[in-house]
Amino acid sequence: MSAREQFMTTHAKNIEAKRVYRRFTAGQNWEHAILLISGIVLFFTGLPQKYRTTSWSQQILSTPERLETIQQIHHIAAIVLILLVIYHLGRAIYLLFQRRLPAAIFPTIQDLRDAWQMIKYLLFLSKGKPKFGKYNFEQKFTYWFIFIIVGIMVFTGIIIWFPELITRYLPGGLVPAAKLAHSTEAIVAAIFIVIWHFYHVHLERLNVSIFTGYLNEEDMKKYHTLEYQQLTGEQVEDADTGGSQ
Amino acid sequence: MVMLKKILRFPVFLILGLLVVLPIFILTNSVKAEEPHQPTDEYCLSCHADPDLKITLQSGETLSLYVDPKQHSEAVHTDAGIECHACHTDITTYPHPELLYTNARELSRNYYLACRQCHAINYEETLDSMHAQIAQEGNLDAPVCTDCHTAHYVKEPDNPRSLISETCGQCHIEINETYIHSVHGGALIEEDNPDVPVCTDCHGVHNIHDPRTAQFRVETPELCAHCHADQDLMNKYGLSSDVYDIYELSWHGVDVSVYKAIWPTIWHESAVCTDCHGVHNILSTENPESMVNPDNLLSTCQQCHEGVGPNWTDAWTGHHEISLSRTPYLFYVDYFYKTFTYLVLGLSFIYVILQIIRNTGNRIRRST
Repeated sequence: MSAREQFMTTHAKNIEAKRVYRRFTAGQNWEHAILLISGIVLFFTGLPQKYRTTSWSQQILSTPERLETIQQIHHIAAIVLILLVIYHLGRAIYLLFQRRLPAAIFPTIQDLRDAWQMIKYLLFLSKGKPKFGKYNFEQKFTYWFIFIIVGIMVFTGIIIWFPELITRYLPGGLVPAAKLAHSTEAIVAAIFIVIWHFYHVHLERLNVSIFTGYLNEEDMKKYHTLEYQQLTGEQVEDADTGGSQ
Repeated sequence: MVMLKKILRFPVFLILGLLVVLPIFILTNSVKAEEPHQPTDEYCLSCHADPDLKITLQSGETLSLYVDPKQHSEAVHTDAGIECHACHTDITTYPHPELLYTNARELSRNYYLACRQCHAINYEETLDSMHAQIAQEGNLDAPVCTDCHTAHYVKEPDNPRSLISETCGQCHIEINETYIHSVHGGALIEEDNPDVPVCTDCHGVHNIHDPRTAQFRVETPELCAHCHADQDLMNKYGLSSDVYDIYELSWHGVDVSVYKAIWPTIWHESAVCTDCHGVHNILSTENPESMVNPDNLLSTCQQCHEGVGPNWTDAWTGHHEISLSRTPYLFYVDYFYKTFTYLVLGLSFIYVILQIIRNTGNRIRRST
């Protein structure tokens, strides 16, 4: 009897297979990491620039050289973010032509129904939570909201980075409008991520699948019931989800 | 004895006694006052009222010693009873002591120190001025008290106010010429306007500082704001008093206010009032010559923003509040964020709170 076989006979009974499900590709994990890092850098280098007239900002930006340095860091992080946007959109277009663009992230009528059902559930008007597929309406909202935020920040950021060049092709009135939008949207984005995204991925449950790429069976059953059923063919009855299906 | 006592008590004797003693006091005092300690103005003018009175200094310059009695009689010092010897302390009588100065400028630069005796504060201030600084660097033509105020005919310096720009204009000829054609100078000369700034309102009076420094530059908006942020004053002329506040929020204004607050001595190019409106040549926006007339605005911007296109001028909100007609893009963005921000963040917040309540409810139910 080989050592392996001996091990299996004595311990195999105690080993319970824990299945995990691939939720994100390695590429998507990297995309999120780059978005996260560039976003944090942009936020913290942008903030003292937005509040330049305050004393805390002036303590950080204590010399004109420091101001210049912080602007350079902001611009470098902006280039990283722009490259990420180009990659993300480029890949989407590529997948679209390959007819492999995942449909799961796009909003559907079902999301509105789910949201309505969820609101009824939250107001104690209904016992059952709706069952969700790969992405629930909250996650889709997060994705598309940040999609639009990044779009606005990149567009307005380029305008106020190169205002003299941009106004050769676009109206001058866009410059002060872009400045207002850029600095307001940044705060909206930060507050939104803290109250919405952090709640859903840290407080409601700790969900690190965006970093690891995998989600455990329990969470799959509970939060992505429809996807689980589709992948495994098993029916799920769960008290939390109401389980009418 | 009784008789004597009666006599002494009798007030007539007392009065008589006083009548004898008092005139003696009065006479002795007045005798003291009449003694000519110092020569009077009249005494000096008996020679110096001669227009031909002059001497030749060692340098070869001819120095006129003429004092115009008429102008001198109108001077503020004459009115106040201050006479020649108050300043010419070394000259007490005729013949005068020998004149120690080799040229006329040396003489004025020494005699003017007499002003200090009474006008100590103003004198101290001049020591801190641009004029004192260039004198120290060797330019002895830099003005002293008497160059602006005159020596013998000192009058109220601002009556009329245009006298001030005339005084400065004696040396600053070109600037004065520009100034009198500006909106401020024009109103001063033509209507003796009491509100427009004269030279000293912006540059100071005795402690005039170099206006070309980084510090003066970043303090310029505040300087203009003394009048242009004054609502009552601006209403009088149909001008907006919000220009300064709106500028402070602009790209230029934020930059300049930061430099003013923490780096006042570091030169910075971000535009201050005078870069766009001009300095001594400020004109009404409606004047076709004005740097900020809509027709000239682009070339004014191009002074710093080289090669920008015609759309560029709209990037400047022109000291106006956000409005649909003037700044439509800004108006819609502002409106969007004022509504959208609260709506989306508020709803997200409420949704998350409801989730927390519901989940807590579930947990309580499970645990009981």
